Amino acid sequence: MSDIIEAKVTHRSRHAAARLFDAWLDPAHVRVWMAIPFETGMKLDMRRVEIDPRVGGRFTFSDQREGGEAVHWGEYRIIDRPRTLAFTWWTSAEEEQLNKSLVTLTFEPDGDGTLVTLTHQMDARWADYVPRVMQSWGGMLAHVAQMLGAAP
Amino acid sequence: MRSEAANTPLDHTLIAIADPTRRAILRRLCAGEARVTDIAAAFPLSLNAVSKHIKLLERARLVERDIRGRDHVLRFRGAPLDEAQAWIERQQAFWRTRLQAIDDLLDEEDRAVPAIKKAKRPRKRTKP
Repeated sequence: MSDIIEAKVTHRSRHAAARLFDAWLDPAHVRVWMAIPFETGMKLDMRRVEIDPRVGGRFTFSDQREGGEAVHWGEYRIIDRPRTLAFTWWTSAEEEQLNKSLVTLTFEPDGDGTLVTLTHQMDARWADYVPRVMQSWGGMLAHVAQMLGAAP
Repeated sequence: MRSEAANTPLDHTLIAIADPTRRAILRRLCAGEARVTDIAAAFPLSLNAVSKHIKLLERARLVERDIRGRDHVLRFRGAPLDEAQAWIERQQAFWRTRLQAIDDLLDEEDRAVPAIKKAKRPRKRTKP
């Protein structure tokens, strides 16, 4: 874990794990939730939502933007309903070639709801260069940000 | 470097900061600019080995080299690290929005089928 850059998000949902899990593999659901705007205020104009829900199967989600069709695609790595779902997540041919972007979702029962943990990791491509112990890179970033903040 | 084309600036940044020696060099340069020879003297490594580390830092644009006469002076630049941090924050925002959108969608489904919602409503908790 220590030689990986990761973006982690936890989310408490009042819905059952199985329903949340299924929302990731059902094209009708994906078409709705992928369209929710993330940076701009506009709902995304979804085009392709293709899902082959088996380990090794691929998915493609695309939406039409001003600059052309934006495509996300990947391959399912773990499908363990309703606990764990993992897939690669690519936005360019280079990324696919480097095979370094992995999203893992876990769904844990939490009271009468579910605790969803999503981890988006980038690794592998540069793992060769990385010594096994890579401590404190998060700390390094914070440290540097601090120093930059302090600089004139 | 033949693999250069496949490496993004972010890859360069990550590769650069993945190594403890290179991080130590960066920390040293955070405190102020330094000559290559000063940096080399501060580490129990050959000048050649230190130069290789510095090259990777330069490739990542974390370090700038200024040649002043015979001295090669190195300076820290933080912008690429902001980029790595920005990737993390951007992905977090992206996925957080998605997780919330799924919740909202399921909420909406429940509202559309009130009978099912009723059946699923958890029983009132009795206090101990």
